[in-house]
Amino acid sequence: MINVDAVTIDYGHGEQTVRAVENVSFCLEKGKSLALIGPSGCGKTSLLFALSGLLHPRSGTIRIDDEEVNTPRRDVALILQNAGLLPWKTVWQNANLSLLLNGDFPQQNAAEVLAHLGLDNVMTRFPAELSEGMKRRVGIARALSTSPSVLLMDEPLASLDTLTREKIQNLFLNLWHEHGFSLILVTHNIEEAAFLGSRIIVFTDRPARVSATIDNPQMGTLDYRGSTEFQGVMSQLREALEA
Amino acid sequence: MKRVLTYIISVAAILFVWEMASIAVNLINHAAILPGPFDALSQVVKNAAELQRNFAASAWRLILAILISLAAAMPLGLVIGREPTLDRFFSPIIYITYAIPQVALILFLFVVFGTGSATKVAMVTLALFYQILVSARGAAKNIDEEYVTSVLSAGATRWQVYRHVVLPASLPQILTSVRVSIGLGIAFLYIAETRAALGTGLGSFINKHMLFSRDRAFAGIVAMAFLGLLLYMAVDVIERIICRWKYVKRRPLK
Repeated sequence: MINVDAVTIDYGHGEQTVRAVENVSFCLEKGKSLALIGPSGCGKTSLLFALSGLLHPRSGTIRIDDEEVNTPRRDVALILQNAGLLPWKTVWQNANLSLLLNGDFPQQNAAEVLAHLGLDNVMTRFPAELSEGMKRRVGIARALSTSPSVLLMDEPLASLDTLTREKIQNLFLNLWHEHGFSLILVTHNIEEAAFLGSRIIVFTDRPARVSATIDNPQMGTLDYRGSTEFQGVMSQLREALEA
Repeated sequence: MKRVLTYIISVAAILFVWEMASIAVNLINHAAILPGPFDALSQVVKNAAELQRNFAASAWRLILAILISLAAAMPLGLVIGREPTLDRFFSPIIYITYAIPQVALILFLFVVFGTGSATKVAMVTLALFYQILVSARGAAKNIDEEYVTSVLSAGATRWQVYRHVVLPASLPQILTSVRVSIGLGIAFLYIAETRAALGTGLGSFINKHMLFSRDRAFAGIVAMAFLGLLLYMAVDVIERIICRWKYVKRRPLK
Protein backbone atom coordinates (compact mmCIF):
# COMPACT_ATOMS: atom_id res chain seq x y z
CA MET A 1 0.00 0.00 0.00
CA ILE A 2 1.28 3.46 -0.92
CA ASN A 3 0.05 6.39 1.18
CA VAL A 4 0.68 9.96 0.16
CA ASP A 5 -0.56 12.26 2.88
CA ALA A 6 -0.83 16.05 2.46
CA VAL A 7 2.45 16.30 0.56
CA THR A 8 3.80 19.74 -0.33
CA ILE A 9 7.07 20.12 -2.25
CA ASP A 10 9.01 23.38 -2.52
CA TYR A 11 12.21 24.31 -4.34
CA GLY A 12 14.55 27.03 -3.12
CA HIS A 13 14.52 29.02 0.09
CA GLY A 14 13.07 32.27 1.43
CA GLU A 15 11.67 34.65 -1.13
CA GLN A 16 12.88 32.47 -4.00
CA THR A 17 10.78 29.50 -2.93
CA VAL A 18 8.84 27.90 -5.78
CA ARG A 19 6.01 25.56 -4.86
CA ALA A 20 5.86 22.51 -7.12
CA VAL A 21 3.28 20.36 -5.32
CA GLU A 22 0.65 21.48 -2.83
CA ASN A 23 -1.21 19.36 -0.32
CA VAL A 24 -1.56 16.22 -2.42
CA SER A 25 -3.00 13.08 -0.84
CA PHE A 26 -3.89 9.71 -2.29
CA CYS A 27 -3.40 6.05 -1.60
CA LEU A 28 -2.79 3.11 -3.91
CA GLU A 29 -3.50 -0.50 -3.03
CA LYS A 30 -0.82 -3.11 -3.68
CA GLY A 31 -0.69 -4.27 -7.30
CA LYS A 32 -2.93 -1.48 -8.63
CA SER A 33 -2.00 1.14 -11.20
CA LEU A 34 -2.30 4.89 -10.98
CA ALA A 35 -1.74 7.52 -13.66
CA LEU A 36 -0.87 11.09 -12.66
CA ILE A 37 -1.76 13.50 -15.44
CA GLY A 38 -1.46 17.24 -15.72
CA PRO A 39 0.05 20.01 -17.83
CA SER A 40 3.77 19.78 -18.66
CA GLY A 41 5.90 21.15 -15.84
CA CYS A 42 3.05 21.20 -13.32
CA GLY A 43 5.01 19.33 -10.65
CA LYS A 44 4.03 15.68 -11.23
CA THR A 45 7.66 14.61 -11.71
CA SER A 46 8.56 16.21 -8.38
CA LEU A 47 5.90 14.10 -6.72
CA LEU A 48 7.25 10.98 -8.45
CA PHE A 49 10.80 11.80 -7.30
CA ALA A 50 9.49 12.20 -3.76
CA LEU A 51 7.84 8.78 -4.05
CA SER A 52 11.18 7.32 -5.15
CA GLY A 53 12.98 8.93 -2.18
CA LEU A 54 15.07 11.31 -4.31
CA LEU A 55 13.28 14.41 -3.05
CA HIS A 56 12.06 15.31 0.42
CA PRO A 57 8.65 16.99 0.74
CA ARG A 58 8.50 20.23 2.68
CA SER A 59 5.54 18.83 4.56
CA GLY A 60 3.40 15.71 4.54
CA THR A 61 4.47 12.09 4.45
CA ILE A 62 4.89 9.33 1.89
CA ARG A 63 4.67 5.76 3.13
CA ILE A 64 5.17 2.52 1.25
CA ASP A 65 4.05 -0.58 3.18
CA ASP A 66 3.89 1.53 6.35
CA GLU A 67 7.51 2.68 6.06
CA GLU A 68 8.19 6.35 5.49
CA VAL A 69 10.10 7.02 2.27
CA ASN A 70 13.24 9.11 2.90
CA THR A 71 15.79 7.54 0.58
CA PRO A 72 15.62 5.35 -2.55
CA ARG A 73 14.33 1.88 -1.68
CA ARG A 74 15.40 -1.39 -3.25
CA ASP A 75 11.82 -2.48 -3.87
CA VAL A 76 10.95 0.73 -5.74
CA ALA A 77 12.18 1.15 -9.33
CA LEU A 78 12.07 4.35 -11.34
CA ILE A 79 11.97 4.61 -15.14
CA LEU A 80 12.95 8.05 -16.39
CA GLN A 81 11.80 10.03 -19.41
CA ASN A 82 14.63 8.97 -21.73
CA ALA A 83 15.08 5.61 -20.01
CA GLY A 84 18.00 7.06 -18.03
CA LEU A 85 20.52 4.81 -19.74
CA LEU A 86 24.18 5.61 -19.24
CA PRO A 87 25.75 5.98 -22.74
CA TRP A 88 29.12 4.58 -21.56
CA LYS A 89 27.66 1.33 -20.28
CA THR A 90 26.54 -1.58 -22.42
CA VAL A 91 22.96 -2.85 -22.48
CA TRP A 92 23.97 -5.60 -20.03
CA GLN A 93 25.66 -3.13 -17.65
CA ASN A 94 22.73 -0.72 -17.86
CA ALA A 95 20.21 -3.45 -17.16
CA ASN A 96 22.35 -4.64 -14.24
CA LEU A 97 22.95 -1.19 -12.78
CA SER A 98 21.37 -2.03 -9.42
CA LEU A 99 23.49 -5.17 -9.18
CA LEU A 100 26.56 -3.16 -10.13
CA LEU A 101 25.84 -0.59 -7.41
CA ASN A 102 24.54 -2.80 -4.64
CA GLY A 103 26.15 -6.10 -5.49
CA ASP A 104 23.49 -8.38 -4.08
CA PHE A 105 20.82 -8.84 -6.69
CA PRO A 106 20.57 -12.19 -8.48
CA GLN A 107 22.34 -11.77 -11.79
CA GLN A 108 20.20 -14.18 -13.80
CA ASN A 109 17.22 -11.98 -13.06
CA ALA A 110 18.44 -9.27 -15.44
CA ALA A 111 19.45 -11.89 -18.01
CA GLU A 112 15.96 -13.40 -17.89
CA VAL A 113 14.28 -10.01 -18.19
CA LEU A 114 16.53 -8.99 -21.12
CA ALA A 115 15.75 -12.26 -22.90
CA HIS A 116 12.05 -11.82 -22.19
CA LEU A 117 12.15 -8.34 -23.73
CA GLY A 118 13.99 -9.61 -26.80
CA LEU A 119 17.24 -7.89 -25.92
CA ASP A 120 19.48 -10.91 -25.45
CA ASN A 121 21.21 -10.35 -28.81
CA VAL A 122 22.23 -6.77 -28.03
CA MET A 123 23.67 -7.17 -24.53
CA THR A 124 27.15 -5.98 -25.53
CA ARG A 125 25.88 -2.96 -27.49
CA PHE A 126 25.91 0.63 -26.27
CA PRO A 127 22.70 2.73 -26.08
CA ALA A 128 23.77 4.85 -29.08
CA GLU A 129 23.46 1.73 -31.23
CA LEU A 130 19.83 1.11 -30.24
CA SER A 131 16.55 2.46 -31.56
CA GLU A 132 14.44 4.57 -29.18
CA GLY A 133 12.05 1.66 -28.60
CA MET A 134 14.93 -0.65 -27.65
CA LYS A 135 16.32 1.95 -25.25
CA ARG A 136 12.96 2.07 -23.46
CA ARG A 137 12.98 -1.72 -23.22
CA VAL A 138 16.46 -1.64 -21.67
CA GLY A 139 15.14 0.92 -19.17
CA ILE A 140 12.27 -1.46 -18.35
CA ALA A 141 14.74 -4.37 -18.01
CA ARG A 142 16.80 -2.32 -15.57
CA ALA A 143 13.73 -1.52 -13.49
CA LEU A 144 12.48 -5.11 -13.46
CA SER A 145 15.90 -6.62 -12.74
CA THR A 146 15.38 -5.87 -9.04
CA SER A 147 11.90 -7.45 -8.95
CA PRO A 148 10.35 -4.24 -7.59
CA SER A 149 7.06 -4.13 -5.71
CA VAL A 150 6.51 -0.57 -6.94
CA LEU A 151 7.32 0.71 -10.43
CA LEU A 152 7.40 4.49 -10.93
CA MET A 153 7.50 5.87 -14.46
CA ASP A 154 8.16 9.45 -15.47
CA GLU A 155 6.71 9.98 -18.94
CA PRO A 156 8.52 6.88 -20.12
CA LEU A 157 7.13 7.01 -23.65
CA ALA A 158 7.57 10.68 -24.44
CA SER A 159 9.15 11.35 -27.85
CA LEU A 160 8.28 7.89 -29.23
CA ASP A 161 6.33 7.46 -32.45
CA THR A 162 2.71 6.33 -32.09
CA LEU A 163 3.22 2.68 -33.05
CA THR A 164 6.26 2.18 -30.82
CA ARG A 165 4.42 3.94 -27.98
CA GLU A 166 1.47 1.57 -28.33
CA LYS A 167 3.78 -1.46 -28.41
CA ILE A 168 5.56 -0.39 -25.22
CA GLN A 169 2.23 0.47 -23.53
CA ASN A 170 1.09 -3.10 -24.30
CA LEU A 171 4.38 -4.39 -22.92
CA PHE A 172 3.88 -2.40 -19.68
CA LEU A 173 0.40 -3.82 -19.33
CA ASN A 174 1.58 -7.41 -19.81
CA LEU A 175 4.49 -6.93 -17.38
CA TRP A 176 2.16 -5.35 -14.82
CA HIS A 177 -0.11 -8.42 -14.95
CA GLU A 178 2.86 -10.78 -14.95
CA HIS A 179 4.88 -9.23 -12.11
CA GLY A 180 2.08 -7.81 -9.98
CA PHE A 181 3.88 -4.61 -9.00
CA SER A 182 2.08 -1.39 -8.09
CA LEU A 183 2.43 1.02 -10.98
CA ILE A 184 2.51 4.82 -10.82
CA LEU A 185 2.80 6.55 -14.16
CA VAL A 186 3.35 10.24 -14.71
CA THR A 187 2.21 11.40 -18.12
CA HIS A 188 0.70 14.32 -19.99
CA ASN A 189 -0.78 11.98 -22.57
CA ILE A 190 -4.54 11.38 -22.11
CA GLU A 191 -4.58 8.14 -24.08
CA GLU A 192 -1.66 6.70 -22.08
CA ALA A 193 -3.26 7.61 -18.76
CA ALA A 194 -6.58 6.00 -19.82
CA PHE A 195 -4.88 2.82 -21.05
CA LEU A 196 -2.54 2.21 -18.10
CA GLY A 197 -4.19 3.81 -15.06
CA SER A 198 -6.83 1.89 -13.11
CA ARG A 199 -7.20 5.21 -11.33
CA ILE A 200 -6.22 8.57 -12.79
CA ILE A 201 -5.45 11.70 -10.81
CA VAL A 202 -5.65 14.99 -12.69
CA PHE A 203 -3.44 17.84 -11.47
CA THR A 204 -3.78 21.59 -11.82
CA ASP A 205 -0.97 23.67 -13.32
CA ARG A 206 1.91 24.55 -10.98
CA PRO A 207 1.72 24.08 -8.10
CA ALA A 208 0.26 20.62 -8.71
CA ARG A 209 -2.98 20.14 -6.75
CA VAL A 210 -5.47 17.33 -7.23
CA SER A 211 -8.27 18.68 -9.41
CA ALA A 212 -10.06 15.40 -10.20
CA THR A 213 -9.80 11.66 -9.62
CA ILE A 214 -11.21 9.31 -12.23
CA ASP A 215 -11.72 5.58 -11.69
CA ASN A 216 -10.99 3.40 -14.69
CA PRO A 217 -11.87 -0.14 -13.56
CA GLN A 218 -12.35 -1.59 -17.06
CA MET A 219 -8.72 -1.10 -18.07
CA GLY A 220 -6.27 -3.99 -18.10
CA THR A 221 -6.71 -5.67 -21.48
CA LEU A 222 -4.93 -5.00 -24.77
CA ASP A 223 -8.20 -4.45 -26.64
CA TYR A 224 -9.39 -1.84 -24.11
CA ARG A 225 -8.29 0.88 -26.56
CA GLY A 226 -11.17 -0.01 -28.91
CA SER A 227 -13.85 0.09 -26.22
CA THR A 228 -16.44 2.81 -25.60
CA GLU A 229 -15.39 2.88 -21.90
CA PHE A 230 -11.91 3.90 -23.01
CA GLN A 231 -13.32 6.71 -25.13
CA GLY A 232 -15.50 7.77 -22.19
CA VAL A 233 -12.54 7.95 -19.79
CA MET A 234 -10.58 9.95 -22.37
CA SER A 235 -13.48 12.45 -22.64
CA GLN A 236 -13.68 12.76 -18.85
CA LEU A 237 -9.93 13.38 -18.70
CA ARG A 238 -10.08 15.99 -21.42
CA GLU A 239 -12.87 17.83 -19.59
CA ALA A 240 -11.00 17.66 -16.28
CA LEU A 241 -7.82 19.02 -17.85
CA GLU A 242 -9.67 21.83 -19.61
CA ALA A 243 -11.61 22.82 -16.49
CA MET B 1 44.21 2.71 -43.79
CA LYS B 2 42.43 5.92 -44.73
CA ARG B 3 43.76 7.46 -41.52
CA VAL B 4 47.37 6.48 -42.36
CA LEU B 5 46.99 7.91 -45.87
CA THR B 6 45.68 11.20 -44.41
CA TYR B 7 48.74 11.40 -42.14
CA ILE B 8 51.09 10.72 -45.09
CA ILE B 9 49.45 13.47 -47.17
CA SER B 10 49.64 15.90 -44.22
CA VAL B 11 53.35 15.19 -43.62
CA ALA B 12 54.05 15.61 -47.36
CA ALA B 13 52.22 18.97 -47.33
CA ILE B 14 54.23 20.18 -44.31
CA LEU B 15 57.52 19.12 -45.93
CA PHE B 16 56.56 20.89 -49.15
CA VAL B 17 55.64 24.16 -47.42
CA TRP B 18 58.81 23.96 -45.30
CA GLU B 19 60.99 23.40 -48.39
CA MET B 20 59.38 26.34 -50.17
CA ALA B 21 59.81 28.56 -47.11
CA SER B 22 63.43 27.50 -46.81
CA ILE B 23 64.16 28.34 -50.48
CA ALA B 24 62.40 31.71 -50.17
CA VAL B 25 64.07 32.75 -46.87
CA ASN B 26 67.54 31.71 -48.07
CA LEU B 27 67.10 33.49 -51.41
CA ILE B 28 65.94 36.73 -49.78
CA ASN B 29 68.81 36.70 -47.27
CA HIS B 30 71.45 35.34 -49.68
CA ALA B 31 72.49 32.95 -46.93
CA ALA B 32 71.54 29.50 -45.60
CA ILE B 33 69.39 30.70 -42.68
CA LEU B 34 66.47 28.27 -42.74
CA PRO B 35 67.49 24.67 -43.39
CA GLY B 36 65.18 22.65 -45.60
CA PRO B 37 63.38 19.53 -44.37
CA PHE B 38 65.79 17.13 -46.08
CA ASP B 39 68.83 18.79 -44.45
CA ALA B 40 67.14 18.51 -41.08
CA LEU B 41 66.05 14.91 -41.66
CA SER B 42 69.54 13.89 -42.72
CA GLN B 43 70.79 15.40 -39.44
CA VAL B 44 68.20 13.31 -37.60
CA VAL B 45 69.86 10.20 -39.06
CA LYS B 46 73.43 11.44 -38.41
CA ASN B 47 72.67 12.44 -34.81
CA ALA B 48 70.36 9.53 -34.08
CA ALA B 49 72.10 8.44 -30.88
CA GLU B 50 72.27 11.92 -29.33
CA LEU B 51 68.73 12.74 -30.43
CA GLN B 52 67.43 9.48 -29.05
CA ARG B 53 68.96 10.25 -25.63
CA ASN B 54 67.48 13.74 -25.58
CA PHE B 55 64.16 12.55 -26.98
CA ALA B 56 63.89 10.01 -24.15
CA ALA B 57 64.66 12.68 -21.54
CA SER B 58 62.05 15.10 -22.93
CA ALA B 59 59.43 12.38 -23.44
CA TRP B 60 59.87 11.14 -19.91
CA ARG B 61 59.48 14.65 -18.45
CA LEU B 62 56.44 15.44 -20.56
CA ILE B 63 54.66 12.14 -19.82
CA LEU B 64 55.42 12.45 -16.11
CA ALA B 65 54.08 16.03 -16.09
CA ILE B 66 50.89 14.96 -17.91
CA LEU B 67 50.34 12.11 -15.45
CA ILE B 68 50.97 14.28 -12.37
CA SER B 69 48.68 17.06 -13.62
CA LEU B 70 45.98 14.52 -14.53
CA ALA B 71 46.21 12.83 -11.14
CA ALA B 72 45.99 16.16 -9.30
CA ALA B 73 43.71 18.26 -11.49
CA MET B 74 41.17 15.72 -12.71
CA PRO B 75 39.72 14.63 -9.34
CA LEU B 76 39.90 18.19 -8.02
CA GLY B 77 38.14 19.59 -11.11
CA LEU B 78 35.43 16.93 -11.01
CA VAL B 79 34.70 17.50 -7.31
CA ILE B 80 34.68 21.30 -7.68
CA GLY B 81 32.38 20.99 -10.68
CA ARG B 82 29.87 18.79 -8.83
CA GLU B 83 29.90 20.32 -5.33
CA PRO B 84 28.46 23.87 -5.38
CA THR B 85 29.93 24.78 -1.96
CA LEU B 86 33.46 23.86 -3.08
CA ASP B 87 32.88 25.58 -6.41
CA ARG B 88 31.95 28.85 -4.68
CA PHE B 89 35.15 28.67 -2.63
CA PHE B 90 37.62 27.43 -5.26
CA SER B 91 36.44 29.14 -8.45
CA PRO B 92 37.76 32.62 -7.54
CA ILE B 93 41.07 31.06 -6.50
CA ILE B 94 41.32 29.18 -9.80
CA TYR B 95 40.53 32.26 -11.90
CA ILE B 96 42.99 34.49 -10.02
CA THR B 97 45.88 32.02 -10.11
CA TYR B 98 45.11 30.92 -13.69
CA ALA B 99 45.78 34.47 -14.84
CA ILE B 100 49.36 34.36 -13.51
CA PRO B 101 51.70 33.58 -16.42
CA GLN B 102 53.26 30.34 -15.25
CA VAL B 103 56.36 30.95 -17.35
CA ALA B 104 57.15 33.91 -15.09
CA LEU B 105 57.69 31.46 -12.26
CA ILE B 106 60.45 29.55 -14.00
CA LEU B 107 63.32 31.24 -12.18
CA PHE B 108 61.53 30.73 -8.89
CA LEU B 109 61.17 27.02 -9.71
CA PHE B 110 64.90 26.78 -10.48
CA VAL B 111 65.58 28.25 -7.04
CA VAL B 112 63.21 25.79 -5.36
CA PHE B 113 63.95 22.60 -7.30
CA GLY B 114 67.44 23.24 -8.70
CA THR B 115 68.39 22.92 -12.36
CA GLY B 116 67.59 19.22 -12.78
CA SER B 117 64.62 17.41 -14.24
CA ALA B 118 62.38 18.25 -11.26
CA THR B 119 62.11 21.92 -12.29
CA LYS B 120 61.30 21.04 -15.90
CA VAL B 121 58.63 18.58 -14.86
CA ALA B 122 57.24 21.07 -12.31
CA MET B 123 57.10 23.81 -14.94
CA VAL B 124 55.14 21.69 -17.42
CA THR B 125 52.92 20.26 -14.65
CA LEU B 126 52.02 23.77 -13.53
CA ALA B 127 50.96 24.75 -17.05
CA LEU B 128 48.94 21.59 -17.69
CA PHE B 129 47.34 21.51 -14.25
CA TYR B 130 45.10 24.51 -14.99
CA GLN B 131 44.11 23.27 -18.45
CA ILE B 132 42.92 19.98 -17.05
CA LEU B 133 41.42 21.47 -13.88
CA VAL B 134 39.28 24.00 -15.77
CA SER B 135 38.22 21.41 -18.32
CA ALA B 136 37.33 18.74 -15.71
CA ARG B 137 35.34 21.29 -13.70
CA GLY B 138 33.41 22.40 -16.80
CA ALA B 139 32.72 18.82 -17.86
CA ALA B 140 31.45 17.84 -14.40
CA LYS B 141 29.21 20.92 -14.23
CA ASN B 142 27.52 20.12 -17.53
CA ILE B 143 26.61 16.50 -16.91
CA ASP B 144 23.03 15.65 -17.83
CA GLU B 145 21.25 15.37 -14.49
CA GLU B 146 19.17 12.47 -15.80
CA TYR B 147 22.26 10.23 -15.56
CA VAL B 148 22.76 11.24 -11.92
CA THR B 149 19.08 10.73 -11.09
CA SER B 150 19.23 7.38 -12.83
CA VAL B 151 22.01 5.99 -10.62
CA LEU B 152 20.71 7.67 -7.46
CA SER B 153 17.33 6.02 -7.93
CA ALA B 154 19.14 2.69 -8.30
CA GLY B 155 20.67 3.26 -4.85
CA ALA B 156 24.06 4.79 -5.71
CA THR B 157 26.20 6.40 -3.02
CA ARG B 158 27.91 9.73 -3.66
CA TRP B 159 31.17 7.91 -4.49
CA GLN B 160 29.31 5.67 -6.96
CA VAL B 161 27.84 8.72 -8.68
CA TYR B 162 31.41 9.90 -9.30
CA ARG B 163 32.61 6.48 -10.41
CA HIS B 164 29.72 5.52 -12.67
CA VAL B 165 28.57 8.93 -13.98
CA VAL B 166 30.80 11.93 -13.32
CA LEU B 167 34.11 10.34 -14.34
CA PRO B 168 32.98 8.50 -17.50
CA ALA B 169 30.81 11.43 -18.64
CA SER B 170 33.70 13.88 -18.22
CA LEU B 171 36.50 11.76 -19.69
CA PRO B 172 36.03 12.75 -23.36
CA GLN B 173 36.31 16.46 -22.52
CA ILE B 174 39.26 15.85 -20.20
CA LEU B 175 41.08 13.87 -22.89
CA THR B 176 40.47 16.71 -25.35
CA SER B 177 42.10 19.07 -22.88
CA VAL B 178 45.02 16.63 -22.54
CA ARG B 179 45.41 16.76 -26.34
CA VAL B 180 45.45 20.57 -26.26
CA SER B 181 47.85 20.41 -23.33
CA ILE B 182 50.42 18.36 -25.28
CA GLY B 183 51.25 21.34 -27.51
CA LEU B 184 51.34 23.67 -24.53
CA GLY B 185 53.39 21.17 -22.54
CA ILE B 186 55.98 20.88 -25.31
CA ALA B 187 56.27 24.68 -25.46
CA PHE B 188 56.78 24.91 -21.70
CA LEU B 189 59.20 21.99 -21.73
CA TYR B 190 61.23 23.71 -24.43
CA ILE B 191 61.41 26.90 -22.35
CA ALA B 192 62.35 24.98 -19.20
CA GLU B 193 65.02 22.92 -20.99
CA THR B 194 66.61 25.91 -22.68
CA ARG B 195 66.81 27.83 -19.39
CA ALA B 196 69.11 25.25 -17.79
CA ALA B 197 72.74 25.99 -18.70
CA LEU B 198 73.61 22.35 -19.15
CA GLY B 199 71.37 19.38 -19.42
CA THR B 200 69.55 16.84 -21.49
CA GLY B 201 66.36 17.16 -23.46
CA LEU B 202 65.40 18.29 -26.93
CA GLY B 203 65.05 21.92 -25.81
CA SER B 204 68.63 21.90 -24.64
CA PHE B 205 69.77 20.16 -27.88
CA ILE B 206 67.99 22.74 -30.06
CA ASN B 207 69.33 25.64 -28.04
CA LYS B 208 72.88 24.30 -28.19
CA HIS B 209 72.91 24.03 -32.01
CA MET B 210 70.69 26.93 -33.09
CA LEU B 211 73.49 29.46 -33.64
CA PHE B 212 76.22 27.45 -35.33
CA SER B 213 74.64 24.25 -36.63
CA ARG B 214 71.11 25.10 -37.58
CA ASP B 215 70.56 21.84 -39.50
CA ARG B 216 71.06 19.95 -36.27
CA ALA B 217 68.84 22.38 -34.32
CA PHE B 218 66.06 21.75 -36.82
CA ALA B 219 66.64 18.01 -36.46
CA GLY B 220 65.82 18.61 -32.78
CA ILE B 221 62.67 20.54 -33.73
CA VAL B 222 61.59 17.64 -35.95
CA ALA B 223 62.15 15.27 -33.02
CA MET B 224 60.07 17.52 -30.77
CA ALA B 225 57.22 17.59 -33.30
CA PHE B 226 57.46 13.81 -33.54
CA LEU B 227 57.19 13.60 -29.72
CA GLY B 228 54.02 15.69 -29.83
CA LEU B 229 52.57 13.56 -32.63
CA LEU B 230 53.33 10.33 -30.75
CA LEU B 231 51.65 11.58 -27.57
CA TYR B 232 48.69 12.89 -29.53
CA MET B 233 48.24 9.49 -31.16
CA ALA B 234 48.65 7.76 -27.78
CA VAL B 235 45.79 9.87 -26.34
CA ASP B 236 43.69 8.95 -29.37
CA VAL B 237 44.30 5.24 -28.78
CA ILE B 238 43.59 5.58 -25.05
CA GLU B 239 40.33 7.42 -25.80
CA ARG B 240 39.24 4.74 -28.25
CA ILE B 241 39.79 2.13 -25.54
CA ILE B 242 38.33 3.84 -22.47
CA CYS B 243 35.60 5.82 -24.27
CA ARG B 244 34.65 3.03 -26.68
CA TRP B 245 30.99 4.08 -26.44
CA LYS B 246 31.82 7.33 -28.27
CA TYR B 247 33.06 5.48 -31.33
CA VAL B 248 30.23 3.00 -31.89
CA LYS B 249 28.25 3.27 -35.10
CA ARG B 250 25.24 5.43 -34.37
CA ARG B 251 23.01 3.40 -36.62
CA PRO B 252 20.00 2.40 -34.56
CA LEU B 253 19.26 -1.32 -34.50
CA LYS B 254 15.66 -2.22 -35.08
